[in-house]
Amino acid sequence: MKQYKLLIPALLAVYVAVPLVFGSDNYVMSLVIASLVIGGIALSWALLGNLGGMVSFGHSAFFGVGAYASAVLTMQHGVPVFLAMLLAGVAAIVSAILMLPVLRLRGPYFALAILAYAHIFRILATEWTSVTGGSAGIANIPRLPLVASIDFGSKTGNYLVILTIVLVFAAVYDMIRRSPHGLALRAMHDSDDATRVVGVNNTLLKGLMLLVSSFMCGVVGAFNVHYINFLEPDYAFSTLWVTIPIVAAIFGGYRTITGPLVGAVVVYLVDQLVVKSIIPTGHQLVLGVVLVAMIIASPDGLLALVRKFMRKNDAAA
Amino acid sequence: MTELIMQSLYSGLLQGGSYALIALGLALVFGAMKVINLAHGELVLLAAYIGYTVESKLGVNPLLAIPVAVLLVTLASAGIYLLVGRIKTNREINSLTLTYGVGVILTNLALLIWSADVRATGSSWMQEAFVLGPLYSMRSEVLFFGVSVVLIGGLWWWLSRSWYGRAVRAVSSNRDAAKLMGINPGFTELVSFIVAGIMAAFAGVALFSYGVITPAFGGVLTVKAFIITVLAGIGSIPGVLIGAVLLGIAEALTVTLASSALQELAGMGLFLLVLFVMPNGLFGAARRRG
Amino acid sequence: MLQLENVTVRFGGLTAVNQVSLSVGSGDVVGLVGANGAGKTTLFNAISGLARAGGRIVFDGRDVLRSPMYQRARMGIGRTFQIPQPMHELTVRQNLTVAQRFGTGGTDMRRIDEILEFTNLSAKAGRDAATGLALSELKALEVAKALATNPKLLLLDEVLAGLETNGKRHFMNMLKQMHDTFKVGILIIEHDIETISNLCQRVAVLNFGQLIAEGTPAEVFNDPEVVKSYTGAEHA
Repeated sequence: MKQYKLLIPALLAVYVAVPLVFGSDNYVMSLVIASLVIGGIALSWALLGNLGGMVSFGHSAFFGVGAYASAVLTMQHGVPVFLAMLLAGVAAIVSAILMLPVLRLRGPYFALAILAYAHIFRILATEWTSVTGGSAGIANIPRLPLVASIDFGSKTGNYLVILTIVLVFAAVYDMIRRSPHGLALRAMHDSDDATRVVGVNNTLLKGLMLLVSSFMCGVVGAFNVHYINFLEPDYAFSTLWVTIPIVAAIFGGYRTITGPLVGAVVVYLVDQLVVKSIIPTGHQLVLGVVLVAMIIASPDGLLALVRKFMRKNDAAA
Repeated sequence: MTELIMQSLYSGLLQGGSYALIALGLALVFGAMKVINLAHGELVLLAAYIGYTVESKLGVNPLLAIPVAVLLVTLASAGIYLLVGRIKTNREINSLTLTYGVGVILTNLALLIWSADVRATGSSWMQEAFVLGPLYSMRSEVLFFGVSVVLIGGLWWWLSRSWYGRAVRAVSSNRDAAKLMGINPGFTELVSFIVAGIMAAFAGVALFSYGVITPAFGGVLTVKAFIITVLAGIGSIPGVLIGAVLLGIAEALTVTLASSALQELAGMGLFLLVLFVMPNGLFGAARRRG
Repeated sequence: MLQLENVTVRFGGLTAVNQVSLSVGSGDVVGLVGANGAGKTTLFNAISGLARAGGRIVFDGRDVLRSPMYQRARMGIGRTFQIPQPMHELTVRQNLTVAQRFGTGGTDMRRIDEILEFTNLSAKAGRDAATGLALSELKALEVAKALATNPKLLLLDEVLAGLETNGKRHFMNMLKQMHDTFKVGILIIEHDIETISNLCQRVAVLNFGQLIAEGTPAEVFNDPEVVKSYTGAEHA
């Protein structure tokens, strides 16, 4: 309940204060937008992990499919941008349906199978030149449109859209988590049979989580494409979209809903502002180190570590 | 046409040797520790780059890089073992993420040290044609195929005859029973990582000797090794061999009959085929429904 | 309501349940007894869908042999596990909510309260199911979960095992009341002869997977075959 009291001022802050204060600084706004994109992917990844019980190393597949779908829909079929973004999410769902048979594989095998799928999509995007423009990519992808005299194509406009997307997804995630379906999903990780025996169709629920996760990631990918207006296979399906969200989600604590978002902002900002200036190429190395360190020290995330540390101090006092 | 197909089969077979080395390393570690080392492909990559460095800095045949590669890669492999050992909970999933992180580190280290440029061997000795009737290959391909055969034979002998080898098999089938028999699972796990490292080292130098390498290769190799283990099914060494050769041949055929750009797709296609049609792999024991 | 015809369960070379035929009508309380390893739990597994079986399993007029476990649960086959399997990370109440939502398709808070009351778990409703309960409460939760799915048939697998005398007596009363209040058919596995005699109108005896006797408790427990099969288990 305390959380809801903070909600109104927090929403005000992000929707009004941020554009007001930083709106004119393109660089800062770019950083914020990019970290929200990462946050969106991290959220969808965490949802699949937490509720679906599946660790994925191939979310770049959904991101890329969403990106290409939206680009092709707007450029080759004249679909309005916002609608295209939604349809791109549907396209991501279709790609996820192709992955459903992989669900029956156990944890590690699933993670790798998704990775293989991501590779497949990347190759398809590179080779299916007639549709995707091949490795040269697609340029001049339409920006977000002018609606009700708000130019969503501007930096601030883009920011508001991605912010809304991420917040809506977070709310949906929370809703699912609290519902009986969310409860059943959490329970089935420890005991497959405990839920089946009371009538839960485990396979169906897990499959649905894959579809939800893919939709979210696809929509984020679509947004990104209209934000940067350019697309090519190695970018759309880059392992960057696999690594950074994982690091973000684990760093921030993937068991919570705010964790991946906070983690995304922190990890991305530090990576761009600090690390990149020290090690321009291969700065992802630090991400790898952070990931390894986190898994060993505190797999539930930095916040959990901090909480543990504070509890120890309280006990000692 | 048949000549082309024969050539593809031959090239694929030779390539399969190295693939088998890589896949076996992955399978060995998984068998001993139930851990999939997502950085395995990067270990191979490391060895390949060591081959490159030895050749370019010392101007010698990459073969001489093998001892160095074996040493360094085995050390790295043991390092990964130590890291995995420090995972406290949920080892199955957390080891995946951890080794993935290690893979990212290694790939980016390669990027930092050797840049993204594509490298290949300049050794003419390695590249010299080796003709077997109508079939053509580079000397390096045949040489390293022979090396793979020897290594795999050695591995098979080691697993079935030597004490350590049998200990590894014991631990992978029943950890507690193995402990009761005086086998230290921790040590056997380390041994399996080391053996995997040795094989990765050879495979890496091989790959450098007859192919091209870039830092992005590591991840691709891991995926291919994984595809081979899926093709083979659980717990089957002959399956891995056949799977590796199958993959090599599929890739060679794709390059010959379709286009070289689709080469990667061959493996992925095989993977999907097995997944949908034969989920237990070609030789694997039936896995319990997850 | 439940008809088993020549049900057989094989694991590789081992036949755990061998051509068992049995019926349970909708008001019945039937006991299932036998030495350890006789196949009782396996039979339960076959009925609820955890184990693949041969033969015919007809529930409510429908052949459920091909139906997956969750579907059988929704059709009205409720089951408790010998070793309690609560839903982890959820509270007692949440365990019931999930069971009810998926077992019946709806939500009825009053009924959940009723069940909590009945199984004496009302005070523990907010506790974490996996860590906050004693053994007798875990067993009660097993029964409560099954009840929450509105079952027509309840398979109770040794719910009394491991409880001390008071707990046992309380449970027995609860089971009797349950049969009267919720109108479910019950198939119950127990080792304690007194309990079975008290609760069941009919008893079926399994030995090495085969049904060797069936009748009233008095008939069955005086049957020399049955006594022989038990020698070494209870009546040494």
